[in-house]
Amino acid sequence: MRGLWPIFKREVFAHFVTPLAWVAMTAFLLIQGLHFFLIVQHFAGQLDLSADAGPVQTYFGQTMMLYLPLLFVCPVLTMRLFAEERRSGTIEPLLTAPIETAGVVLGKYLAVVLIYAAMWLPTLLYMLLLSRYGEVDWHVVASGYLAVLAIGAGYLAIGTMTSALAKSQLAAALTSAMAIIGLFMIGVGEFIFPEGIGRDIAGHVSAWAQMNDFSRGIIDSRRLVFDATVVVLPLFITVRAVDAWRLE
Amino acid sequence: MIEVEHLSKSYRGIEAVSNLSFRVERGQVVGFLGPNGAGKSTTLRILAGFLGASSGRVRIAGFDIVDERLQALRQIGYMPETSPLYPEMKVREYLAFRAELKGVARTKRRVEIARCLELARVSEMAGVPIGHLSKGYRQRVGLADALLNSPPLLILDEPTAGLDPNQIREVRALIATLAEEHTVLVSTHILSEVEASCSRAVVIAKGRLVAVGSIDEIRGRGRPELTLVLRGTEALVRATLSGLDGIASATVEVHGDTLRAKAILTAEDDAALGEATERIVRALAQADVGVREVRTTTATLEEVFATLTRDDMNSATTDEAAP
Ligand SMILES: Nc1ncnc2c1ncn2[C@@H]1O[C@H](COP(=O)(O)OP(=O)(O)OP(=O)(O)O)[C@@H](O)[C@H]1O
Ligand SMILES: [Mg+2]
Repeated sequence: MRGLWPIFKREVFAHFVTPLAWVAMTAFLLIQGLHFFLIVQHFAGQLDLSADAGPVQTYFGQTMMLYLPLLFVCPVLTMRLFAEERRSGTIEPLLTAPIETAGVVLGKYLAVVLIYAAMWLPTLLYMLLLSRYGEVDWHVVASGYLAVLAIGAGYLAIGTMTSALAKSQLAAALTSAMAIIGLFMIGVGEFIFPEGIGRDIAGHVSAWAQMNDFSRGIIDSRRLVFDATVVVLPLFITVRAVDAWRLE
Repeated sequence: MIEVEHLSKSYRGIEAVSNLSFRVERGQVVGFLGPNGAGKSTTLRILAGFLGASSGRVRIAGFDIVDERLQALRQIGYMPETSPLYPEMKVREYLAFRAELKGVARTKRRVEIARCLELARVSEMAGVPIGHLSKGYRQRVGLADALLNSPPLLILDEPTAGLDPNQIREVRALIATLAEEHTVLVSTHILSEVEASCSRAVVIAKGRLVAVGSIDEIRGRGRPELTLVLRGTEALVRATLSGLDGIASATVEVHGDTLRAKAILTAEDDAALGEATERIVRALAQADVGVREVRTTTATLEEVFATLTRDDMNSATTDEAAP
C-alpha cells in the first residue's frame, strides 16, 4: 500500500521527539516495575507455588495494575496522530501526495503499535529475572504477552479513530480514554449482570477475563476474533473519516 | 492540463466558489488572481485533491481528480498556502520523506533532493530542523517539495507570501525557468508578479470568474485614455469632442491659457486606438483648435484589476488587493 512505509517511519521518529510520549512511557514502566516488585514481595513469603498461581500468572492475569496504565498510555500514544496534523495544517501536503488513505491510516496505526510493543519490552527483564530464581512457564509468558498486545492493539485503533474524529489532541485523548473505559466497564458487567445473554456478552468482551485466561495459557480464539474486530472496525471508520474531510 | 467545469464549493452553506470554469493548457504559466477571500486557495485545494467540490468537475491531464485521484495527483506538485511542515524534521529528512511518498525511486532520491534543494535555494539549510527556519525559508522548502519528482503541473498557492523583495525576485525568476518544463498555476494578489512571470491570468472575485486570457487581453479590458493639451475656447472643444464617435466620456479643464482634455476611448485594440486618435486630432484641427500635445495611455493591469474586482465590494478589500 503506497505511503504506508514512509509514514510508518516518520511517525515512529516523530514519536521519539515528543516529550509527552517519554513521560507516558516512563510512567508506564515505573508502574509496571512497582507492580512486579509488589508481586515478587508477595510470593517471596510463599514456599509452595501452585502451577496456576505463580508470579507470572499474577502479573498478567490477577491484578488491575497491568492494564490500568493502558487506559492512559494508549490515548496518549494515539492522540497526536491525526489531530496534530489537522491543527498544524500538515494534513494538506500529506493528503495531496499520491498515496492511498488506507496507507496513511495503517502507517500511523502500525507505528503506535510498534511503540506500544517496544514499551512492553523492558518488562521481559522481569520474566528473565524470575527464571533465574525459579521455574517460568514460557508458554504462559508468551500467551500473556499475546493478550497484552491483542488488547492494546484494539485500544490503539480506538485512539487512532478518535484522533481522526476529534478537533484537538486533548479531545481525542479524552474520547478514546472514555471509549476504552466504556469497553472495560462492559467487561466488568460479567460480575454484575444476572445470568443470561448480557452476562455472556460481558464475559466475552471482558479484557479482565481475557487476561485471566491467557495468563493461564488458555488461548481462546473467539477472544482473538473479538480483539481483531476492535482493531479493524475503528481503523475502517478512520479511513472513512479522513476521506470525509474533503467533503466538509 | 487543467480543465475546470462549473466548479462550486460551499462551506456550510456559504458559497466560496461558484460556477467557475476555465482551462489551462500544457506549457502555460498562468497567474490565478483575486483579492483576499476571492476563493483562490479554495479553488487550488480542490484542484490539488485536498478538498472536494460541492459540484462541478476537475480534470488534471485528463484524469478526474475524484474518480482517478491517484493518477491525477501524480501529475501535480502542490505547494499549499502557508507551507505547513513538520517542525521536528530536518529539511533533508523532510524532503526524503516527501520523495518517498511521491514514489521517487530509492536510488534516485539523493540526486533528486539535491536538485530541488538547489532550485529552491535551500541547499544551505538542508541540515537545519524546519522549526528553526524563517518563514521565507519554510516557503522555499514547500517549493522544493512541490518540485520533487518533476511533476508536469505545479500548483503554487502564493509562493512569494512572506518573502523579502530579493527572495520574491528569485522566486519569480525560478517560476520563469520552471515554465520551460512545467505547466504552472500560481495564485497571488500581487499584480506585478503576474506581469513578471505569467503569460496568462485567471481573475476571480467573490468566487466568480471575472476575466481569463493573456495578460495583454486582460489589460485590454481597461479603456485606453487620450490626454490632450489644447489652445482654444472650452465651449468649442467640448462641442467638437461631443460630436465624435469612439469616445466613451470626456472632461475638459482650463489650465492657465491652455486647456487639458481627457477622453476615455472605446477602442479595443491598438489599431482602433490609433485610428480614433487620428480622427480626434483632425476634427480639433479643423475646428481651429490648437493641438499642443497628445498622449495615449492604456490602463495598467492594476487599474483593470481594480475595476474588474471592485463591483459591490468594499474599497478596503480592493485597496489591499491592488496595492
Ligand atoms: N475552512 C473554511 N471554512 C469556512 N469558510 C472558509 C474556509 N476556508 C475558506 N473559507 C471562506 O471562503 C472564502 C474564500 O477563501 P479562500 O481562502 O479561498 O480565499 P483566497 O482567495 O485564497 O484569499 P487570500 O488571498 O486571503 O488567501 C472566504 O470568504 C473564506 O472566509
Ligand atoms: Mg489564499
